[in-house]
Amino acid sequence: MKLELGYIQINDIQFSKECKVENGTLFVDADAVRAFMYEDDDVKDWVKSFSFDIAKPGESVRITPVKDVIEPRVKVEGPGGVFPGVISKVDTVGSGKTHVLRGMAVVTAGKIVGFQEGLIDMSGPGADYTPFSKLNNFVVVAEPKDGYQDHKHEYEHAVRIAGLRAATFIGEIGRNVTPDETQEFETLGIKEGIEKYPDLPRVAYVHMLQSQGLLHDTYVYGVDAKRSLTTIINPTETMDGAILSGNCVSACDKNTTYHHQNNPVVAELFAAHGKTLNYVCNIITNENVYLADKQRSSDWTAKLCRLLDLDGAIVSQEGFGNPDTDLIMNTKKIELQGVKTTIITDEYAGQDGKSQSLADADPLADAVVTGGNANEVIILPKMDKVIGMLDYVDVIAGGHAGSLREDGSIEAELQVITGATNEMGFNCMSAR
Amino acid sequence: MESKRTFLIVTNNPLVAECVPADYAVDFENITYREILVKVRDLVYAGHRLYTHPLSGSVKPNETPYKSVVVSRLPKGMEPEEAAIISNSIETFDKFTPRKRELTQQMFKDFQLIDYTLLCGAVGLDAAAGLSNRKSH
Amino acid sequence: MSYRVVHYINQFFAQIGGEEMAHVAPELREGFVGPGMALSQAWKGEAEIVKTVVCGDSYFAEHEKEAKAQILEWVKAEKPDMFIAGPAFNAGRYGYACANICAAVQEELGIPVLTGMYEENPGADLKNKVLMVATANSAAGMRKAAPVMAKLALKIMKGEKLGASCEEGYMPNGIRVNFFEKERGAKRAVDMLVKKLNGKPFVTEYPMPSFDRVAPNKAIKDLSKATIALCTSGGIVPKGNPDHIESSSASHYGEYCIAGVDDLTADTYETAHGGYDPVYANADADRVLPVDIMREFEREGKIGKLHDYFYTTVGNGTAVASAKGFAAEYAQKLLAAGVDAVIMTST
Repeated sequence: MKLELGYIQINDIQFSKECKVENGTLFVDADAVRAFMYEDDDVKDWVKSFSFDIAKPGESVRITPVKDVIEPRVKVEGPGGVFPGVISKVDTVGSGKTHVLRGMAVVTAGKIVGFQEGLIDMSGPGADYTPFSKLNNFVVVAEPKDGYQDHKHEYEHAVRIAGLRAATFIGEIGRNVTPDETQEFETLGIKEGIEKYPDLPRVAYVHMLQSQGLLHDTYVYGVDAKRSLTTIINPTETMDGAILSGNCVSACDKNTTYHHQNNPVVAELFAAHGKTLNYVCNIITNENVYLADKQRSSDWTAKLCRLLDLDGAIVSQEGFGNPDTDLIMNTKKIELQGVKTTIITDEYAGQDGKSQSLADADPLADAVVTGGNANEVIILPKMDKVIGMLDYVDVIAGGHAGSLREDGSIEAELQVITGATNEMGFNCMSAR
Repeated sequence: MESKRTFLIVTNNPLVAECVPADYAVDFENITYREILVKVRDLVYAGHRLYTHPLSGSVKPNETPYKSVVVSRLPKGMEPEEAAIISNSIETFDKFTPRKRELTQQMFKDFQLIDYTLLCGAVGLDAAAGLSNRKSH
Repeated sequence: MSYRVVHYINQFFAQIGGEEMAHVAPELREGFVGPGMALSQAWKGEAEIVKTVVCGDSYFAEHEKEAKAQILEWVKAEKPDMFIAGPAFNAGRYGYACANICAAVQEELGIPVLTGMYEENPGADLKNKVLMVATANSAAGMRKAAPVMAKLALKIMKGEKLGASCEEGYMPNGIRVNFFEKERGAKRAVDMLVKKLNGKPFVTEYPMPSFDRVAPNKAIKDLSKATIALCTSGGIVPKGNPDHIESSSASHYGEYCIAGVDDLTADTYETAHGGYDPVYANADADRVLPVDIMREFEREGKIGKLHDYFYTTVGNGTAVASAKGFAAEYAQKLLAAGVDAVIMTST
C-alpha cells in the first residue's frame, strides 16, 4: 500500500469571508466552519454555541481546557476519505494521495467534565513542553447546551465530531492547492518485503490504544478499540485518520488525533525502512480495564509478532497506571517469543523524582525510552490572553488548590500540558 | 466463564451502588480511594480473584475520590500476578502528592460518572440504562 | 569571596606511598594536595580548597569509627561550603572511604558532598545517598573527571538546580530529572531497537527496578518434622539492643537465643529499626518476629521445632551487599544447626 502526502505549509491563519490558501496563509470563514459542524445531528443536539480564535507561535496566549488537536487533511486521490468510519465512509484508506495543511491544527477546547484538562501555552516556559505551541492553531471553543450534565458521553461525542468536521472543512480548502513538498510511504506485502530486504531485521510497531471507557476511548474506523481484538493495520492508514482520539484525560500523555495522524514512530520507522530495518506493519492493541481482556490482547499481540516472523518491535503506550500493566504484559510476551522490543513510556516518579516510575515492571523490558517525569512541577507565567477558561486549573491533574496564583501564573505538574510527556516519543524530553 | 453471578464490585462510589442492577453483588462502603485499594488487596490475599485493574482510568488517584474494583465473589486461590498488581497499585497511589482542594458538587458527580462508566465498560453493563434506572436525577 | 572546600584523598594521591603506607592515620594539610590542584584550577578562583585531609586506606577501613570522628571534627571546625572526596577510580578501599566519609559529613554536619569513582567500585553502593561522578577505572581518567567534578561542585555550592545525571556526569541516584534530548523519543526508540537487534550495546533510559530473584527451594514434605528458624530485617532485638545494631545502615546482625521463650513482650524485646513507627513492634515484637505463633504450631505439632536462635538486622538503608554478607554468614550457622527452613520477615 502506497500513500503520497503533499504538504501545504501554513504559516499564518486569518479569518475571512473567503476560504483559500495563499502564499502560506490560510484564509477561513468561521461562519462556514460553524455551519458545517452543525450539519451533524449530534452536534446540533448538544452544542449550544461555538466561538473561534486563532493562536500563533510566540503569542502570549494560553489555550485551556484542550480536548483534541487535529491536523486538517484531505484525500485527493485513491479510495476513501479522511477519518473513515466517522466523517467519511468506512472505505479502506492509506493509498493514493492526501494533502496535509502542515504547520497548523484545529484545537477543540471547552469544558466537558468538571475537571477538564489540557493546556497549551503559545510562548514562555510552558511552550517548550508542548509541540502545539509551534503550530498556528485554529481554536474552536464549544459551549454545551443545558442538560448536558447527565449526558457526558453524548456531549463528548458531539465535541469530538465537531472538531473532526472543522478539520475536514479546513482540509478541503487545500484540495486544489499545489503542495510545497511531497513524500511517499509504502508498505509491502509480507513476501514482497522479505524478498526485497532479505538481510534486514523485520520490525513492527505495536501501537497500544487507550480504551478504558468514557473519556478514555480511541476509535479505529469508527470502532471503539475496547471492543476489538488486537489486529494489524497499514501504517499509511493512520495518516488518513483511521485512528481517532476520544481521550480527554491525562493531558500530558494522551495521544491526540494529531499525534495519531503524525505518529512519530511510524515516521521514524519509515525513515529507517530499507536501510537498517524492514518496517512490516503496525499492530494495534487495546488497554482495557478487565484483566482477562489484558491477557487476551497481549497474548494476541505476541502471537501476531510471531506469525509475522518479526525480529523486533517498538511498543508505545498511552496513559497512566492501568496501561502500565498492558505495556509490561505485551513487552514480556513479545520478548518471550524471541522478538526484541524497545518500549516508549513516560514516568510518574513523584514531584521529587524519587518514586518508582511505573506501576508495573519486568526485567525483560530492558530497552526503554521515556518521555519524562509527568509529576515534575513547573511554573507557568500569566499570559495576556486566555482562549477557553481558567476555571479548571486548580482541579486538573497536576494542579492543586492555589495552582492559579494571584498574579495569574500557574504552579502545576507537567501533567497539565497537552502532549508534554507523549508516549509515542513525539518530543525530545526525557529523564534520567 | 465469569459473569455477574461471580462478580463482587468493591466500591466507594454511590452512583455505582445506585445504578448497578440488583443481581450484581456490590460492596459499597463510604471510605477513601486508598482504603478501597487496601480492602481489595486483603480480598486478593484471601484468595479472591482480581478482575479489573485497580488503577483503571487515567484520572489520577489524588484527583478523583472514587474507585470501583471487581473481584470474585468467592475466594478461588490467590494469583501471584494479581497480588502484585494490587500491591503495586497501592504503592503508585502513595507516590502522588496529596492535594487539598475544594470540589464542587458537579465535580463529585463527574468523578462518580467516570468511575461508574469505566466499571460498566469492564463488566459489560449498559451504563446509560443504569443511569436511567436511577430513582432521582 | 570564593567558596571554601575541604578535600579528602588517600595516602597514594598525597604521594606518601602505596599499599605499604596505607596504614597512615588521618592528617590535615593546608590548601590543596595532589589531585586537588586540578579542581582548584578548574574553579578559576570561584572556589578554593582550604584544607586537605589525607588518610591511609587501610587505616580508614580498620579504624573507621576513629577516622570518621577525627575527620568530622576537622571539617566541622573549618565550616566549608562543600566536602569533596577522591576521585577514587577503581581503588576499592579508597572508594569505600570516599563514599562513607562523604555520607558521614553529609548526615552529621549537613554539608553538601561530592565524590567520584568507577561505577563498579564497591564504594558506588552508596550512589543513591552520596552524589558521585562516574569516572574511568584508573587514575588516567583524572583529566576527564576533575572538570566534571569541579563544575558539578560549583553548581551545588551556588545552589543551582542539577540537571539529569547524563547531562551532569553523576551516577544515576534514583532521582529522576527531566531534560531535553537532541532527538525525539521515537527516533531514540528506533535507534535503540536497531542496536539491540544487532547485538550492540545500548543504554535504556529507564532501568527497570532490579529484582534479585531467588529460585525457591523444594517444598518441605513434612513440616511436622522440620526445624524452622525465624529471621528478620525488622530489627527485633532483646530489650536494650545489647549489640547496638544501628537504626539505619546496619553494619552487623544479631544472633539471639529464644530457647524457652514463648512470647516476645514489651518488657523483653523491642525493635532497633529507625525506618518505621516502632510503637506497635515495641508493644509486641511478635508482630514482626512471630515467636508466639511458631510456639503454638510447635505445640500443635504443625512444625517439628522452632530453632533456638533467631538472626536479626535492620533493613533500613542497609547496603544490599552488607545484607547479603550477613545472610551468607548466618546461613552457614543455620545449615550447621540442621535447620530445614527459614521464615524471613521484613517490615
